[in-house]
Amino acid sequence: MLPIVSITLFLPLLGALLIMAARKAPVRVVHAIGIGTSALTLASAVWMWSRGVLPVGFAQVEQIDWMPTIGAAYRVGVDGISLPLVLLTALLFLLTFIFSAKVRERPHAYVVLMLLLETASIGTFTALDALLFYVFFEISLVSMYFMIAGWGHEGRQRAALMFFLYTLLGSLPLLLAILGLYLGSNPHTFDMRVWIAHPPLTGIAAMLALVAMLFTFAVKIPLFPLHTWLPAAHVEAPAAGSVILAGVMLKFGAYGLIRFALQMTPEAFRYAAVIILIFGVVSALYGAFAALAQTDLKRLVAYTSVNHMGYVVVGVAIAALAIDPAVRALALDGAVLQMVSHGLVTGALFFLVGMLQDRAHTREMARFGGLLKGLPILGWSFVLAAFASLGLPGLAHFPAEFEIFLATLRVEPVALIVILGIVVTAGLYLRAIGQVFLGEPRAQWKGLPDLNARELLTMIPLLVLIVGVGVAPAWVLDVIHTTTATLHF
Amino acid sequence: MSPLALVVLAPLAAAAGIPVLRRAPAMLALLGAGAGLIASLVLLAGASAGLHAALILPGLPDMPLRLVGTPLTALLSTLVAVVGALVLIYAVGYMKQDDEKVRFFATMSFFIAAMQTLVLAGDWILLLAAWELIGLSSYLLIGFWYRRPDVASAATRAFLYTRTADLGLYAAVFLLIATTGSSEIAVTLHSGAGASVAVGLLLLAAAMGKSAQTPLHDWLQRAMAGPTPVSALLHSATLVAAGAILLIRTAPLLPPDALLAIGIVGGITTVVTGLIALAERDLKRLLAASTSSQYGLMLVAVGAGVPKAALLLLIAHAAIKSSLFLGAGVFQHSRHSTRLADLHGAGRDRPWIFAGFTLAALALAGIPPLSGFFAKDAVIAASLASSNARLLAPLALAGTLLTGAYMARALRILWQGKRRDQPVAGLRWMGAGLAGLVILAIGLGAAFPFIETLLATPVPEPALARLLGLSAALGGLALGWFIPGRRLLGPLLPWARQGFAIAGGVDVWIVRPALTLARGCERLERGLYAGVMAVGRLGLGLGRAVRRSDDQGIDGLIFSLVRGTVNLGNRARTLQSGLIHRELAISVVATALIFAVLFVTLLAF
Repeated sequence: MLPIVSITLFLPLLGALLIMAARKAPVRVVHAIGIGTSALTLASAVWMWSRGVLPVGFAQVEQIDWMPTIGAAYRVGVDGISLPLVLLTALLFLLTFIFSAKVRERPHAYVVLMLLLETASIGTFTALDALLFYVFFEISLVSMYFMIAGWGHEGRQRAALMFFLYTLLGSLPLLLAILGLYLGSNPHTFDMRVWIAHPPLTGIAAMLALVAMLFTFAVKIPLFPLHTWLPAAHVEAPAAGSVILAGVMLKFGAYGLIRFALQMTPEAFRYAAVIILIFGVVSALYGAFAALAQTDLKRLVAYTSVNHMGYVVVGVAIAALAIDPAVRALALDGAVLQMVSHGLVTGALFFLVGMLQDRAHTREMARFGGLLKGLPILGWSFVLAAFASLGLPGLAHFPAEFEIFLATLRVEPVALIVILGIVVTAGLYLRAIGQVFLGEPRAQWKGLPDLNARELLTMIPLLVLIVGVGVAPAWVLDVIHTTTATLHF
Repeated sequence: MSPLALVVLAPLAAAAGIPVLRRAPAMLALLGAGAGLIASLVLLAGASAGLHAALILPGLPDMPLRLVGTPLTALLSTLVAVVGALVLIYAVGYMKQDDEKVRFFATMSFFIAAMQTLVLAGDWILLLAAWELIGLSSYLLIGFWYRRPDVASAATRAFLYTRTADLGLYAAVFLLIATTGSSEIAVTLHSGAGASVAVGLLLLAAAMGKSAQTPLHDWLQRAMAGPTPVSALLHSATLVAAGAILLIRTAPLLPPDALLAIGIVGGITTVVTGLIALAERDLKRLLAASTSSQYGLMLVAVGAGVPKAALLLLIAHAAIKSSLFLGAGVFQHSRHSTRLADLHGAGRDRPWIFAGFTLAALALAGIPPLSGFFAKDAVIAASLASSNARLLAPLALAGTLLTGAYMARALRILWQGKRRDQPVAGLRWMGAGLAGLVILAIGLGAAFPFIETLLATPVPEPALARLLGLSAALGGLALGWFIPGRRLLGPLLPWARQGFAIAGGVDVWIVRPALTLARGCERLERGLYAGVMAVGRLGLGLGRAVRRSDDQGIDGLIFSLVRGTVNLGNRARTLQSGLIHRELAISVVATALIFAVLFVTLLAF
C-alpha cells in the first residue's frame, strides 16, 4: 500500500526543496511550483479521504523507528477528527497559493515558507507521536512568524514578535505536559495511541498536565483572556497569512484540546469540564460583543473567530460532561464540524477582506458605502460568507452550531445562554454589510474592478463548500461520527 | 419525482436557474411557481384521499430531515403556491421598468421555496432551517432597493427583530427534541406528554417576532421599504404567516397557561396595532399595521383553543391582504407615492382596481358573504366559547371593530378627491394577478366546509357570534367612513403615531445596552492589549537594565581589572631598570622586610 499519509505530509516540503534548488527560477515558475505542489497535496488528501477511517482507533497508520531508545518514532495516521482537518488544510493552502500568485516581493522565500507551513500543519494533524506533534507545532509557529514579519502591513514587526513570543511561551507548558505523560507511561513511549488507550497519569499529576495543556491550547484557540495576540496578528498579517492563521492554525488549539487534553487526561478533564465550559461560554460571548464594537472590517472578522472557536470549546466541554454516549457524540460532532466550517467561512471572509483592501487600501467600514453596485461579485460573496458566519441554515456553520447547542441544552441548560452570540453576530454582520455594501455608491470608489479570474478561482471552491456543508453536512459528519460514536474517555 | 419534492424543488430550480441564464427571469419564475402549484394540488388531492406522503432526506446523524404531506401541510402548501403564483403574475407588470429583474425574481422564487419547506417540514430541524431562510429572503427582498436611504436599516431591522425572537424557537426545538428524543414533529405531537409552559412561551416568543406581535410589531411597518409584491407576499402567505402557522401546528401540545398567554398577546396586538392603523399616514404602513392586527386575531383563536379558526382566518387573510397590497401597488404607481395625503381620489383613477380593493377591504372587515366573514365568525365564536371568554371575546370584538374602521378610512381617502389620470406601465399583468386574488378573497368562504371536512374538525358557529361579529364590523365601517381617524383616536393619536413604543421601544431596551456592552468589551480589550504590551515593555526594560549593568557593572569591573593589571605592569617595568646596584638594594630591602614579617609572626604565636 502506498504510504499516502506520508506522501501528503511531505509533498509540500519536496516542493519547497525544489524551489530552493532552483533559486534562479522566474517568479511565475515559483508560483506554479507552489500551486502545483499544493494541488497534488490536495489530491493526495482526497485520496486519504477516500480510504476513510476506522470505527475504533486510527486508520492509515504509517510508522518508522526514529529514536527507539526513548520510545519516539515517526508515526502518522488519521481518525474521524483529524481527517476532515487535513482535507481542510490541503484545500486552504491550495487556495492561498492561487490567491498569492500576485506576490512579487521575495516570491521564492514566500512560497518556500508557505510550503513549509503546509507540511507543518498537516503534520500537526496527522502526527501520532507526541514528540513529532510538538516539532510540527513549533515549526508552524516559526513559519508564521516570518510570514507576518516579512509580508505583513505597517506594524508587522511588532505584531510578529508579539505573536511569536505569545505562542512560544504558550507552547512551553505543552512540552512539560508531554514529558509528564512520557514519564508516566510504562514502558516509556511517545506513542499517542498508547497514551489515549491507557491514560498514563492520574490524580494531581494528571491535573497538572491538563492545566499545562489547557494553557497552551487556550492561547492557540484562542480563549478569552489569552486571545489578545489574535486581533493584533490578523491586522498586520497579509491576507493569505490571515487565512492560514484563522483557517488552519487556530484548529491546532481545538484539535489539541480534544486529542491531548480530553483524550489523554480524561479524568482530570471531566473534573475541570465546568470551568472549561465557562471559559468557552465567556469567550464566545465576549468575542461576539468585542466584534460588535469594531470599525475595522478585518478586526471584526478576527473577533468573530474568538466567538466561533468559543463554541468549539463549549462543544468539547459538553462532550466531557455528557453521560449519554449519544449526546457526547453529538457534542463532539458539532465541535469538529464547527472547526471545518470555521475554516471555510473565515477563510472566505479573510480572502474577501484582503481583496477589498487590495483595491481600496483601507478597511475602515465607515469609509466605504454602496460597494455592491460596483463590485457585485465581491459584494454578494461577502454577503454569503457573512450569513454563513452568523449561522444561517443551509450554510456551513448551522449544522455544527445546532449540534453544539442541542447537546448543551441536554447536558447543561444554563450554558445555553451562549446562543445569544448568534444574535450579536447577526447584528454586527448586517451592520457591516449595510455600511460597506449597501446605500448609495460613493464617488471615491467608482471604477474599482470586480474580482478577476485568479480571485474567482480562490473564492468559488470555498463558497461552493460553504453551501455544500450547510445543505448536506452528512458527507463530512459521517466521517466525524464514525470516530466520535465509539470514542471512550 | 414525488410531488412533495417538486413543490419545493420547482421554485428552487427557478431561483437557481434565473441568475445562471439571466434571460426571461419573470417567465422562469412563473414556470417554477406554476409547476410547484400543480405539485401542491396533487399533494392536496392525495391528502384528501387519505394518502400520507413523506420524504426522508439525509440530515444530521440520527436526525434525518423530513417533508410530510398531511392534510394540514398540504393545505398550507397550496395556499403558499396559489398566492405566490398570483403575486408573481402581478410582479411581472409591477417590475416592468426595473433593471434588476434577475435578482428580484430569483429571490422571490427562493422565498417561495423556503416557505414551502417551512409548511411541509416534518421535523424540527428542517422547520427551524426554513424559518431562518424565510428571514433571509425577506432581508434580501426588503433591501431590494439597497441604494435608497433607510432601506438598509429597514432590512437589517426586520432580520434582527425576527432573529432575536427566533432564539425562542431554537430553545423550544432543543427542549422538544430533548424530551422526546426525536426530531420528528409527528412524534412530538403524538407523544402524549404535551409540552411544558416554558416550551409554549418560547414558541410564542418566536411567533411574536415573525408575526409582528406587540411589542415586536415595529419592524413590519418599516419593512414597507421593499417593492410592493414583496409586501404582498410577506404579509399574506409567507414570512408573517410563519408565526401563526407554527402556533397552529403546535397548539395541540400546549398547556392551558401557555394558550392563555398566546390569547392575551394576540388580543393586545389586535387592539394596539388596529389603533396604529387608524393613525397611519401611509397606505402601505396602514396595511402593515392591519396585518399585525389580523395575526393578533389568529393568536386569539389559538389561545381560545380552536386553532382551526385561526387557520381559516390565515387562509382568508392571505388572499385578502395580498389583494389589498397589490391594489395599493397600482395606486402607488399611478401617484408615485404611498402617502395617504397624495392618494386622495386615487381610487377614481382606476375604478376596476378600486373595486377589487374595496371588495378585499370589506372581506377583511368581515362582511358576508365574503371570505373574511366566515373566518372572523369562527374566531369570534372561538373566543366566546373559550374558558377565558371574558378576556378574549372583548379583545376579539374590538379588533374586528377597528378593522372595519381603518379599512373604511382608507376607502374614504382613496375615493374622495380629484381624479388624476396617469398611465401605469404593466397594468395588464398587475390586474390579472389582482383579479385572481380578489376572486379568492370573495369566494374562499365556499371552500371552508371542504377544509373543515379535510381536517375533520368542524368549527362551531353560534348565532350570537355572527350577530356580534357583524355588528362590530358594520359599526367599525360606519365609524371609519364618517369620522376621521384623528378624531376617533383623540388623545391617543400622538402615541399611536409613534407605534405605541414604550419608553423608546426595542432600541432603548435592547439595542443600546448591547452596544454599551460591546463598547465595554472593546475598552477591556484595549486594557488587556495594553497589559500585554506593558508586560512586553517590562521585559524589554529588564533587558535594557541588564545590559546597562553589564556595560557598567561586570564589564566595567573586568575593564578596570585589566586597566589595573596593565598599570601594575607599567609600574613593575620601572623597577626593572637594569642597574645592578639599584636592584641589589631592592633585594636587600625586600629580604629584610620578609625576615621582619617572619620574625613578627613567630613572636605572635
